[in-house]
Amino acid sequence: MSRKIERLINLTIALLATKRYLTKSEIFRSVDGYEGSAETKERMFERDKDDLRNLGVVIEVGSFDPVFEDEAGYRIKPERYALDLGEISGVQIALLSLAAEAWRGAALDDAAHSALTKLRSIGVESDLDGVPAIAPRLNAAHDDFLVITTAIAKRQRISFTYLSSNLERQSRIVEPFAIATKNSHWYVAGKDTEKSQIRTFRLDRIDGEITSMQVPGGYEIPEGFDVFQSLSNLENATVATIDIRKGKAQLLRNTALSIIDKGEWDQITVEYFNSQTLIDLVLWHGEDAFVIAPIELRTDVMTKLHEIVLLHV
Amino acid sequence: MSRAPQTPLGRTARLLDLVPYLASHQGIELLSLAQEFDVSQSQMVADLTTLWMCGLPGYTPLELMDLSFESGFVTIHNAETLAHPRTLSDEESIALLLGLDLVIESLPNDREDLKKIALDLVTRLSARSSIPAKLSALPVMPGSVRSIVERAVREKSGVEIVYHSSYSDTITKRIVVPIELRVENGSEYLWGICQNARAFRSFRLDRIQTAVLTAVQKISTTPSEQKHEVAYTICTHSREREVMERFGLDRESHRGAMETTSFSHEWIRRSVLASSGSVEVLSPADIRSDVLRAAQSILNRYAST
Repeated sequence: MSRKIERLINLTIALLATKRYLTKSEIFRSVDGYEGSAETKERMFERDKDDLRNLGVVIEVGSFDPVFEDEAGYRIKPERYALDLGEISGVQIALLSLAAEAWRGAALDDAAHSALTKLRSIGVESDLDGVPAIAPRLNAAHDDFLVITTAIAKRQRISFTYLSSNLERQSRIVEPFAIATKNSHWYVAGKDTEKSQIRTFRLDRIDGEITSMQVPGGYEIPEGFDVFQSLSNLENATVATIDIRKGKAQLLRNTALSIIDKGEWDQITVEYFNSQTLIDLVLWHGEDAFVIAPIELRTDVMTKLHEIVLLHV
Repeated sequence: MSRAPQTPLGRTARLLDLVPYLASHQGIELLSLAQEFDVSQSQMVADLTTLWMCGLPGYTPLELMDLSFESGFVTIHNAETLAHPRTLSDEESIALLLGLDLVIESLPNDREDLKKIALDLVTRLSARSSIPAKLSALPVMPGSVRSIVERAVREKSGVEIVYHSSYSDTITKRIVVPIELRVENGSEYLWGICQNARAFRSFRLDRIQTAVLTAVQKISTTPSEQKHEVAYTICTHSREREVMERFGLDRESHRGAMETTSFSHEWIRRSVLASSGSVEVLSPADIRSDVLRAAQSILNRYAST
C-alpha cells in the first residue's frame, strides 16, 4: 500500500515540477515505482491518473507540437493545483475558521476541517482578537446530506420520497441547485424534473434515502440562485393590516413593516407570501390579533374560525 | 479513535496536505501534528516515513524531501514543489460558503467592516468553486447570545436572559443556572434552574433575546425534575404533515385519535387555534370547550367591527 502512495506522490511531484508535457515513456523512465511489463505499467498509470483526478488534481493532456502528431504528454499546472485566494489577512483566516468551526459535529464536519487545515497551511496567523467571540453553529441535517452536496457540485439528479402536506409519499426527481438553512431547518431547491418547475424541499420531510444519478451533459444552475428568494417569491408578496393588542402578539410584532399607535391596540402592516402561514400565526395569538385588510384574508380567517367552532361544538 | 481515512487514496490526500502544513509549521510537535490531521501518533510517523521516500525524479538525497522527526519535532526541507496547499474540493468550498454566510448573519450589526470582509471571501470562494448559486445559512439566534449562553453552561455561571415565551406571549427577564443545551424536535433549548420560578425550565435558544452572565447564589435545595404535564387527545382533519410537526408527533404514527402530552394548557389551546381547523381536540373537555369559546369570541369581534 505504501508503494502505491509513494508512486502517486512522486507522480504528482514530477507532473507539477515539469515546465513541459511529459510523455508516458518519460514518466515510466523517470518516476519511481513504475515496474513490470509495458502493459502493467500502462495499467498502473491509467489507474493512478484516475486516482489523482478523484482527489481533485487536474492533470492536463497535451503535446509538444500540435502540428505534428506527437505522443500525448501530461502535466499538472501549479496554478490549478494550488489554493489561490489572493492576498489573505489574519482577520480573514479568523473568519474562515469561524465558518469551518460552525460545522463541528454536523454534516460537513470533515470537509470543513480539511479546508481549515489547507487555510492554516497558507502560513498566515489567524487574528482571533480581530473578530468578536461568536460561535455560530450549523445543525445536523439529513443522513444523506453529502449526497446532495456532491450532486450539486457534479450536477447530478437526486431522487427521494417526499411527504406531501397530507402525508402522502411522493417520488421526486430533482436537479438540485442549492442548499440553505433557516430556523434550524435545511432546504434543498432545484428543478423538479416531472413538473419542470423550481421547487424547494425541507430535508426533514424527505422520507428515507436520497440517491443520485448521472445526467448526461449535466444541467445549468442559474447564476446567483437563492433558495430563500425563490421561497418567498417577491412578486407574490401582499401586505396585510392587522390590529394587535398593546404589549402582545410578539411574533407578529417582530415582522411588522409599520406600527401605528391606536390606544389599546397597535395597527401593524406585515408582508406575506403564503396566506395560510399568516392565518395560522394570527390565530395563534387568539384574541390579541385581528386582520383588518385585505378583505379576502379577513374572510379566510373567519371561515377557519367557523371550522374550528364546528369541530368543537 | 481516529476518523481519518486509511485507504490508499485517503492517505495520499493526507500526505499531499501534510507537506504544505509542515512547510508553514516548521518544528511542530509530532503530537499536535497528529491531532491536526486526526490520526494517531504512530500513523503520523508511518505517513512521514512514506513521505520521506518521495521527491523529484532522480530520487537521490538531493531530490528527495528532507524530513526530520526523530526528536518528536517535525521539520521538512526540499519540498518546494508541494509546498502550496491544494485547491479546495467542492465539498470544502460548500462547507466554507455556508459557514461564512452563517458568520455574516451572526456578526453584530456594528461590525459592518467584518461583514464586508466575509462577503468578499464569499465572492472569492464562489468564483473558484463550481457552485454558481448562493448558499444561505440563517442563524436561529444572534451569535453574541449563543456565545454567552455556551459560556454560562461551560463555566456553570448564572445567566440573565430576556426571554420571549411564545405560549404565554410575554417577554420576561429571568435568571437561569444552566445545566446543559438540549435538542428536542430539531430545536435547541437551554435547560436549567430558573431562579424566578425556582424550578427546572427549558428555554428555546431562538427565543432568548439578550443574555448576560451574572453571579448567582447556590440553591441549597435542588428542585425536583418532575415536569407538570397535561395529557390530551387530538385528531387531524387536513394538513396532516404540518399538524404532526407542530404537535411534535411521529409522522409514521399518524392515525385516528392521538394521545400525547404538553407542558401547558395554554400551549395546546394556541396550537389548536393556529392549526386553522386542521385539528380537533377530543379530550380533555375543558381544553375542548376553551378552544370553542375562544373561536366564538374572536368570530363575534370580527362580526361586530
